[in-house]
Amino acid sequence: METTTQAPAVHTESKVPLREFVRDGKPPTEDYREKLFELEAKGELEVHRVPEPIVEVETKYGRKKKIPIEHTWHHKSCGQCGHIPGYSTAIFWLHRQFGLDYYDPKDQSSCTAWNYYASSTSNPAAQAAIAVRNFAQAKLDGYFPLIHCGTSFGHYKETREEIIHHPELRDQVRRIMDRLKMPFVFPEEIVHYSEWIHVMRHRIAERQVVDFRNITTTVHPACHYHKLVVEDAIYDRELYDGQRTAIVTGLVEALGATAADYSTWHDCCGFGFRHILVSRDFSRSFSTIRKIERMKEEADPDVTITHDTGCVTTLDKSQFAAQAHGRNVGIPVLSDAQFAALAMGAHPYNVCQLHWHGVDNKPLLEKMGIDHKKAWGEFEAIAERIESGELDFMTWEDADVK
Amino acid sequence: MSNKPILVIGGGPAGLEATRGIADLGYHAILVDKSDVLGGNPISAHYAALTPDMRSAEEAMGEMVDAITDNPLVDIRLNTSVIGSEGDAPNLKVTLQNGSNEEVVDVGSVIVSTGFQHFDPGKETQMYGYYEHDDVITLVDAEKMLKEDNFLVPSTGKKPEQICFIQCVGSRDRQIGNQWCSKVCCGIACKQAIEIRDILPETRVFVFYIDMRMYGFWEDEIYWKAQEEKNVNFIRGIVTEITKRGAKLLVKGEDTTMGRPMEIPMDMVVLSVGMEPSKGTTEMAGTFKLPLESHGFIETTGGALNTVQTKVPGVFVAGAAAGPADLEDSISMGGSAVMKACAFLRKSELQSA
Amino acid sequence: MSIYKDAKYMDVPYEEKLKLFKEVKDDMRYDHNLYGCYECGICVAACPSARFYDFSPRVFAQIMAREDVDTFYELLNDSVWDCSQCYSCTRCPRENNPGGIILMMRDAAVRAGMQSAKDALKAYSRIIYKVMSTGTQVAPDMLQPDFFPDWGTDVKAVAENLDVWRRAIPPETLHTTELAWDVSEKTRLELYMIWKLTGNLELIEGIDEGIYMILEEVMEELLDDNGYDIDDFENVLEE
Repeated sequence: METTTQAPAVHTESKVPLREFVRDGKPPTEDYREKLFELEAKGELEVHRVPEPIVEVETKYGRKKKIPIEHTWHHKSCGQCGHIPGYSTAIFWLHRQFGLDYYDPKDQSSCTAWNYYASSTSNPAAQAAIAVRNFAQAKLDGYFPLIHCGTSFGHYKETREEIIHHPELRDQVRRIMDRLKMPFVFPEEIVHYSEWIHVMRHRIAERQVVDFRNITTTVHPACHYHKLVVEDAIYDRELYDGQRTAIVTGLVEALGATAADYSTWHDCCGFGFRHILVSRDFSRSFSTIRKIERMKEEADPDVTITHDTGCVTTLDKSQFAAQAHGRNVGIPVLSDAQFAALAMGAHPYNVCQLHWHGVDNKPLLEKMGIDHKKAWGEFEAIAERIESGELDFMTWEDADVK
Repeated sequence: MSNKPILVIGGGPAGLEATRGIADLGYHAILVDKSDVLGGNPISAHYAALTPDMRSAEEAMGEMVDAITDNPLVDIRLNTSVIGSEGDAPNLKVTLQNGSNEEVVDVGSVIVSTGFQHFDPGKETQMYGYYEHDDVITLVDAEKMLKEDNFLVPSTGKKPEQICFIQCVGSRDRQIGNQWCSKVCCGIACKQAIEIRDILPETRVFVFYIDMRMYGFWEDEIYWKAQEEKNVNFIRGIVTEITKRGAKLLVKGEDTTMGRPMEIPMDMVVLSVGMEPSKGTTEMAGTFKLPLESHGFIETTGGALNTVQTKVPGVFVAGAAAGPADLEDSISMGGSAVMKACAFLRKSELQSA
Repeated sequence: MSIYKDAKYMDVPYEEKLKLFKEVKDDMRYDHNLYGCYECGICVAACPSARFYDFSPRVFAQIMAREDVDTFYELLNDSVWDCSQCYSCTRCPRENNPGGIILMMRDAAVRAGMQSAKDALKAYSRIIYKVMSTGTQVAPDMLQPDFFPDWGTDVKAVAENLDVWRRAIPPETLHTTELAWDVSEKTRLELYMIWKLTGNLELIEGIDEGIYMILEEVMEELLDDNGYDIDDFENVLEE
């Protein structure tokens, strides 16, 4: 097998007569929205409708999914907020740049799916109740849930299936909601923030101030985004001929960067939920050998872009120890939100909080033409003001250094 | 003898056999086909050699077409579709459309032989990349290449070093919704493997399968032959992903015999795509109000004991329009349908006499 | 009697194994997670854990479909915790969900307080405490070099500057070091009610008694502060 290979960019020129995939026939699955509306009609639950303005996207079998542009309730991610704060910050920053109405709630609990997949110290009723509680809170707050984490997204899709198919579960959830004095609410769509970024990508590109044309990326799609409840993921005829999910690749291309293909595109990152915390040899080995080394060998990207907390964590944090073993690593890892924010001129440290990342991303910033030394100086200046007590917290105004 | 013709819809193997049978028995046949050439999938999809006899498809179909050409009892209508039907057999009034021309014909009985369509790999839930990678082809593409004596790597034009077949593409799958086995793909893949090993003796050929369905004489005539005489490698384990690694395709599967994940570079991958009900089948079912069975093919009455009678009296089905069928099935059903259609006409004549 | 000569755990009473097996089979998700298996190997091909561990999702699907109780018990102890819950195995053409089968098996192992489950979760229990008591799973103050020495030099830098750096993040809800984001008391209260109403607090007792005791205290206190009695919240799943 060849080792040093130049992988082609996503669209390779075809040498055979053009094959164009045209989907015919009806989808092989039921429409979950119809099922939810049926339950609502029977009085079993309330469906929280997606608020206007809406953009429709196509999902795997050609159905249309509604994506809200604003009036969203930001369902935050444990890992992002815990150790990749630039990820959540970038999502909010993007909304603020476009002047969109959003709400960042304190009345939000973790989806607790990370824990459930890691340890099974829970059960479907608890998981469903936690989901419904968050959704009910969002409806009460008057905003539509936008999910920040891929794990939450996948888990909520799974929960939706269980709620639709099991009357006994609905009964249990209803009794719990009654005790909490909250309504049984379920959203019309479960929307991941990267889907919002996907529909906003051309508007983001319009405001791009950093040139990405010399940036080569590799894209890593999150397993829980497109492998759990496969129908509910964005597919686009223009990207991968509608054969692979278009998420993240759409943004990368819209920003003028290259999404280079590699042979382990479909592989999991190796997060493992429990493994990343307490059996790290698995996560580290898998991530290094199957993902990072392959990307390096075949695509040699400047950065790898993904759209889930676990994936950013695993890909970013596995490379340090691997380096000690002389492995071929060293690709900075960014979320699509941070990538988009940088394109629009966001501060690499005040907004993207790149100092919380493992792999050195300064070479990437240099290639993007961003003066990271100056930027770090600006961040440190604010940090000093906080340390001295002059400033309590960095505000959004402080973050956008002019 | 009745002068009312029997309408045969679809000029593939089943339809051709039926048409000849009708004429041989002295009845009139109207053969309708929406394309401009007879022969069905074997001709329109450029099949090279038929399974299992290895006879040239073009020659075999040519022979069947010759048998009905210039036959005073056969009225062949190409580029013609059936767009409506009124009444009940034996007094059916069927509307035929040819371009902008419409004509209503009186027919006594109908044989629907609208065949199947090949599964489109874009609908597959595994990641085969048919629309992304030139070198991933289907059995149909391979047949055409074999017929044109051009079995080379599409992206480079060179001889392949290593190729593989992946079985059950679009069949036996609950996620796609095609839960049936398409019956012929194992045989066709083996046949093609033999042909390829003959013309490219340096090329290694693999077949990735779940089960090798080699009915009857196919077992030793094609399967054992492929394994023993032609050194085709059969590996039990289906591929889940095809990605590109440099110039090669990388297929990823589990070798279930060894119980280990495997990743093998290939120059070409042939997807053994299955059968689906054709558009013509679904349309004719609607036109003649023929119930479909649970997989979407035309339903027959009587299970194994009656393979050609539909639920509508006087309307019969032959070939893959009723479900996955190989060539022998289609020919046999064509004959059986003729027998029943003619008997139907005779009985109705005797009754009205 | 197992069909295998080298079967393990043959000293464990069959009734015990059967009881656990039936629990998994009675799980409401079972019928959507397991149909039949024709051993195509797609699940193993896609599985990351299969490449690293002696683990096979296909084996899980086969053993459950065969209702081989003895081998089920082996898997429940030896390899059920290897699965990385990525759900790549849902490519299964029969629509089996080996990851889902494993999740149900783990649920049963945890409920039964099995030693192998305790062992697998021993290092993990402080995370359980964090998520159940605070409503977020990882907090900035957990980013300590002694817990994550292999994650890189950034961990040390973060730990040293934690307080200042957490204040140097614009979103208001992120201005905390003990939680991922600032979770309101109301939400924590509701979360505790959910844990009690679904029997989840009691579940922890079987896994780690120490964590359970601290958790119960913390929950009882908050409920009490808000005028609730923890004992009023009985497990609705048992009704």
